[in-house]
Amino acid sequence: MSGIVFANTLRTSWKQVLYWGLGLGVLGFYIGFIASSSDIIQGYADLLASMPPALLQAFGASSVEVLRSSEGWIVSVFVSEAAIFLSVFAVMAGMNITANDEQSGVMDVVMSLPISRSSYLLERWIGYAAIGLGILLVCAAITLFSLVLFGVDAQMDLVFISILNLYPGTLLVMTVTGLLALIARRRALAIGLSAVFVVVSYVFNLIGGAASGAMADLMQGLSFFSYTKGEQIVLGNYDPANALLLLLVVLAGFALSVRMFVSRDIGV
Amino acid sequence: MASATVIEISGLSKTYGSGSRQTAALRNLNLSVQQGEIFGYLGPNGAGKTTTIRMLLDLIRPSNGSASIFGMDIRDHSVEIHRRVGFLPGELSLWEGRTGQQIIHYVASVRGDTKGITKQADEFAKRLQLDTSKRVRDLSSGNKRKLGLVLAMMHSPDLLILDEPTNGLDPLVQQTFHEMMDEFRDKGKTVFLSSHILSEVQAICDRAGILRDGDLKAVESIEKLMNVEFHWVDVQFRDAVPEGLARQLQGSSEISDVDINGSRVKMRLTGDFDPLLRMLSDGYVKDLRVEEPTLEDIFLAYYSDGREAR
Repeated sequence: MSGIVFANTLRTSWKQVLYWGLGLGVLGFYIGFIASSSDIIQGYADLLASMPPALLQAFGASSVEVLRSSEGWIVSVFVSEAAIFLSVFAVMAGMNITANDEQSGVMDVVMSLPISRSSYLLERWIGYAAIGLGILLVCAAITLFSLVLFGVDAQMDLVFISILNLYPGTLLVMTVTGLLALIARRRALAIGLSAVFVVVSYVFNLIGGAASGAMADLMQGLSFFSYTKGEQIVLGNYDPANALLLLLVVLAGFALSVRMFVSRDIGV
Repeated sequence: MASATVIEISGLSKTYGSGSRQTAALRNLNLSVQQGEIFGYLGPNGAGKTTTIRMLLDLIRPSNGSASIFGMDIRDHSVEIHRRVGFLPGELSLWEGRTGQQIIHYVASVRGDTKGITKQADEFAKRLQLDTSKRVRDLSSGNKRKLGLVLAMMHSPDLLILDEPTNGLDPLVQQTFHEMMDEFRDKGKTVFLSSHILSEVQAICDRAGILRDGDLKAVESIEKLMNVEFHWVDVQFRDAVPEGLARQLQGSSEISDVDINGSRVKMRLTGDFDPLLRMLSDGYVKDLRVEEPTLEDIFLAYYSDGREAR
């Protein structure tokens, strides 16, 4: 592994860090601005308090009390929205690992160079993983800056960790998309399947959170969104095993991708 | 001293699809290419040329058979092989938003010698009259092709694999390309070149293989292919074509493709001239021209069912 493909990936795609990071950062900035008004936070919490607990769960919070704190409100509202936007980035990044170059024919040139398929895949994957991390850091920096700017009384470290906690889920969607693209061979089909994966995960998390019982638990268990809930970080009952589990699935998905990419025909 | 075998292909086959939709793109290909030769791989679209090339580069995997380049198996040692090979795909795609220079720099850095390779690339670009400062999306198809050639040749590979290399190049650049190929050969390097442009293969190749529907029909030296035992004979009589000549010509097993137009007769003659000259003696022959078959004639002969060139 020479790192040249990794460096080239960063060189050609670094602007995504800027665009996505700024895009999500603006959302964080806006949330920070709203969080500066305790009236709005309390009003929002009161509104949700009047709703059935199941609906509250569906909004990503297990108790109204979480929403009454600034960091709880920011994490419940902003981080859950950011997770959806990041899924879109992750699908695009997953397609960029190999599928787009394969579809355009560029892969024929690349794979005629002295680089093994597994090294190429690894460097591309690390490149886009680094871009994903860059986006989260830019987003976190802007969000925290807005909290300081608007004088929001919030525990910054919890907000920061909650935003970073989106990383395993982002990697998962990226890896699953990359794998689906290798299996499906058709770009449109791979994007469609990845979108289904994200939407079904989201719906499972929503319904699983709102309902109770074994089926609801199973649905939540199958949704990657349920493993990245920032609310648990704010409440202090976050289980790092959740992130670890997602990362293990990412690792397994990546290993499968390497196996697929090494053994299959390119551009057919 | 015997030259080394650079490409050795043994029983290589490729099948696409499965079940009733299975199509054989290449069947039981056996071929070897020696060091220092320019080998032309001829055939129409869909004959299996690109499939062969893509298998040699380990882009696609054989259904059967094996191949080696520089004595190394194409699958087990693809990275080592690629280090010594330059490749130009038939349908070249490059990063549209990047300039020629950026792509050259990237490819050179993957090859591990940025400085030396880019210097060489500049020289090739100059010879091919290519402006490498432009983005790929702003290049014409011919200029993209030139960039592809630069990328394939800039690291002085021991083996060049070129799929339809002069597609879209203007005649002057084609001439430069031919000169470059001669220089490559003079340096003891090997070129495996697929083409459907027969005149090109005739002009620069030492040997050619003719592929048809996934089967290699023949491999011969260009010299030998050009030396097939038939000629085109064009006879111009002063007066009308002698009576009975047409019947005589059509009755001969060595004469075919007879075309009589006024006082002129064209035909394809296989074998000796004497029987024909005797047939022609009943008339006054004003002019007689004998043409060697072009590679295209030979090519068409191979492709005409039941009438392969000898």
